Amino acid sequence: MSDYKNIPLPERRRLRQKMIKKHNLANILTHWFNVASWLLLLPTGIAIISSPRLGITPLWWQETFRNLFGSAANLITFHYTIGFIWIFILLFNVLVGFRRYFVPFAVHRMLLDKDDIQWLMTKPLQMLGFMKGKELPPQDVYNAGQKVYSYFVVLGTLGIMISGPVMVFKNLFPPVVKQIAQPVHFLSVFMIVAWLFIHVYMGAVFPEEKEAFFSMFSGKVSAWYARAHHEKWYWEKIKEEMEWEDEVESQVRESIEGKRASDLPQSTE
Amino acid sequence: MPQKNHYAFVIDVSRCIDCRACLVACSVENKFPMNHTRIWVHDQGVQGEWPALSRIFIPYNCMHCDTPPCTEVCVSGATYKDKVSGLVLVDQQACIGCGFCVEACPYGVRYIDEKRGVVDKCNACVQRLEVGLPPACVATCLGKARMFGDLNDPNSEVSIALKNAKSVVRLDYEVGRTDTDPNIYYLNLAEMGGVKSSDSFGQVKQAALPREPHYTISEEGWKKVLVPLIAAGMGGAFLVQATFFTKQLIEGEKEFDE
Repeated sequence: MSDYKNIPLPERRRLRQKMIKKHNLANILTHWFNVASWLLLLPTGIAIISSPRLGITPLWWQETFRNLFGSAANLITFHYTIGFIWIFILLFNVLVGFRRYFVPFAVHRMLLDKDDIQWLMTKPLQMLGFMKGKELPPQDVYNAGQKVYSYFVVLGTLGIMISGPVMVFKNLFPPVVKQIAQPVHFLSVFMIVAWLFIHVYMGAVFPEEKEAFFSMFSGKVSAWYARAHHEKWYWEKIKEEMEWEDEVESQVRESIEGKRASDLPQSTE
Repeated sequence: MPQKNHYAFVIDVSRCIDCRACLVACSVENKFPMNHTRIWVHDQGVQGEWPALSRIFIPYNCMHCDTPPCTEVCVSGATYKDKVSGLVLVDQQACIGCGFCVEACPYGVRYIDEKRGVVDKCNACVQRLEVGLPPACVATCLGKARMFGDLNDPNSEVSIALKNAKSVVRLDYEVGRTDTDPNIYYLNLAEMGGVKSSDSFGQVKQAALPREPHYTISEEGWKKVLVPLIAAGMGGAFLVQATFFTKQLIEGEKEFDE
């Protein structure tokens, strides 16, 4: 169990100064590209749904966007044009970084382990006000909640990417497929959006996770944050660091021993 | 009437001889595929006992209902009731041809154009109305069975025909909350085919139309399962974040002070 609360103040200050790299540039750019796409796609998509029987979108919203784009057809064209750009760039990024980023991410970062199950059983109860005293198990670079959300996002994204083009290439598919595609598109989007409230709040507003927000620009979090929220990952990083240090040290040692075996320095930083 | 024009068809059943020139004219004017038709003539068959035999032909096209069930189900608003003319039209650029409306129309006037993947139907030849011509079927009708015009104008052909009519029947579908109020007025249907009162569709209804509006499983499931589910999910998530945000505002930020 995590003991970060017992760390003395000077050590805390030191940890806060030290930065650890959490996200690479590709992740950061893909994330913000995704945000921009969703900001364009979600309002226009909601505006398209104008069926009075479903009664989802308020009339002023429908009218505003139809007037903005000139007609329903233009609104739909805009929506799927942005949608295709989104699909293309996202798939491109996944395929280009498939072996280097995507597979390791899926294998090491997304799978739930025993601690995650424990976390999932404890955290929702704690949010409701029970089991306040119980410590949460240490978490990996993404905590169990984020992992579960990632499943919804991946499933939803696939649902959107398949059902969207079905509705655009309307002459290639029979009516039944197009009928199913519409609720699938709707469900895929809104099961992501429902969690998005919490994702955005946790990332941008919630004080304890503030560093997570800035890490989506700089790619770095402080060691203190990593220690407190992603302990497993923190120790992993420390281990990596120490292994690297050992390696450098042995290399230096070898090179020096090769030159002058007699005159060794006492220690290497 | 809310809209400026109240276009309506008035069809004198006693004048129709089932020549189907209107079908040809419609096909030529609107250039839809040969295997479909936007309008048709319904043959009731020979009725009655000899020597009192009768046979009626009922020309059909879109009824351009006042409250159409088809526009209710259209997800994108690709099919709509035009605010100026009152005609029920399809924006085929916006339509994806899912067929929700085809199932919902009680008169079966819509079909799916498989080649283009869109829904097509009678548009009362709006392209001709704009230049002041009557719809192709009306213009070509030999016996002047089909008439078309603006009911808001008391001097129009249709208003005068309705004023002088002996009997008027509308194939209104009025069950529960659905009330289509169609805009095709059939003249002399009662005299010709034994439809007794002007309000019931009697034999006409038995023969073919209107039917109950159908709602597809996808549409029903969307409305009855997905929308409540999503509403609950989003409401729940919003409540959670709202609770935490309120708590944060009240208690202040603790983590950053040492």
